[in-house]
Amino acid sequence: MSDAHDPKPVVHLPGSPHADPLVPNGEHGHHEAMHGGSHGIAKYVYVFVALCLLTTCSFMTYSEAWPYHDRPAVGRSFMLIVSSAKALLVILFFMHLKYEAAWKWVLTVPASVMSLFLLAALIPDIGMRVRRYSEERRELLGTRTDAQRIENASAALHPHEDHADDHADEHGAAPAHGH
Amino acid sequence: MATVAHDAGHAHHPPKLIYQQALPLNNGKLFMWLFLSTEIMFFAALIGTYIVIRFGAVVWPSTHAVHLSEPIGAFNTFVLICSSVTIVLCFEAARVNNAAGAKVWMALTLTLGCVFLGVKGYEYTAKFDHGIYPAYPRGPIYERPDLYYGSGVRKRVQEHLLHYAKLPPEQLTDKGGKPTEDGEKLAILNQLKDKASTSDPTALVNLAAEIYPLPPSGSHEHVHGGLNETESWLRLPIVIPGGNMWASTYFLLTGFHAIHVLVGLIFFAIMLFTWKLDATCHHGVENLGLYWHFVDLVWIFLFPLLYLF
Repeated sequence: MSDAHDPKPVVHLPGSPHADPLVPNGEHGHHEAMHGGSHGIAKYVYVFVALCLLTTCSFMTYSEAWPYHDRPAVGRSFMLIVSSAKALLVILFFMHLKYEAAWKWVLTVPASVMSLFLLAALIPDIGMRVRRYSEERRELLGTRTDAQRIENASAALHPHEDHADDHADEHGAAPAHGH
Repeated sequence: MATVAHDAGHAHHPPKLIYQQALPLNNGKLFMWLFLSTEIMFFAALIGTYIVIRFGAVVWPSTHAVHLSEPIGAFNTFVLICSSVTIVLCFEAARVNNAAGAKVWMALTLTLGCVFLGVKGYEYTAKFDHGIYPAYPRGPIYERPDLYYGSGVRKRVQEHLLHYAKLPPEQLTDKGGKPTEDGEKLAILNQLKDKASTSDPTALVNLAAEIYPLPPSGSHEHVHGGLNETESWLRLPIVIPGGNMWASTYFLLTGFHAIHVLVGLIFFAIMLFTWKLDATCHHGVENLGLYWHFVDLVWIFLFPLLYLF
């Protein structure tokens, strides 16, 4: 506890904010580094444009122009890379981690590592669950073959004629009524 | 951490320790980062479980089979990115004591957050109208077009028929002997009852396709014209292989994300209407901004995982 009546010279131990080698400019020194008036705002605009472009890149995998529709793994890898790049931009610039000192790793790295452990722990239990299903349970499972048969029957019953409202899915749902 | 206060006159006394913060940041920001650390684990668990479940599943419905719209998801991503920019500009304005500017940016952020929730609500409504939602003990989604499905359709048809059995005959046919609207509905129900009473697997597949058609896998087209759409009053059980797990994970992930958005909006509203948003409170704006950016961050991963994978 500090003693207000007795101002004494203090020695800053390593780790105190004033002497922290991780924070050359002190607690809020990063503000000076990160914000330069209109220059700082321009930086946010650049990041915003980059985020929009990256979102468009993700969306490209959905469009007909995407050349790897037959290889979903390519599209998924591409989307994860793009998402990670977007996340990095948000973390570094909007959450200011680019300008913060090394303390950020103390808080974020353990949580991220624990998340990876959790993910790894789920794989044998949940990810491989269907390998241990009994025959009786398998009979109740929907399969790709079931989906294929319904898709074929749907194509025969509801031939697709009007491409104009391909994406009007949300409007397609008529309001539900009771009796 | 502690600072040692030296006292030359009382060298025999143990040094007095002046405690200072351990990390070079204020308490509010430290709290927010600790909270965000727990949030990282929370959403990593949810998203990780989704990935493990999804790639361990026997079959997973395509986005168009469950009436997800990629353009709507992309629009919502754009909205959240815009809101991230507006909240960081709000912080900038508050930092330089521009309270009026900060209020404008905060109001914009609040509006964009409301737009996001509105679009999400619209999407949810569309799913509910198609009968796509998890329910206990079971929802209207069946995994296979098998005898259990036929039984489920018959049960639903019987519920409707019980209603029409109570109607007087004159309500089913007009004076000319033609069926009224109720009479036409009764005819549809009787046809469905016959179709659902079969044990022929092909007939049950056709029934499933008639009620809720599925688009070809890999197709970018939505199929319309199913009985549940043209005769929406029926609300019959539907077959979507893998649909139950999809519905559970989709509503869990997007639901928890929407709750976080809602909490953020509540704090935005409180700040907007009760705070000055000048330089004295820029730390508060920064902390709320950190939370909002995290919410944006989660959606950055949810959008491709749910809409594009």
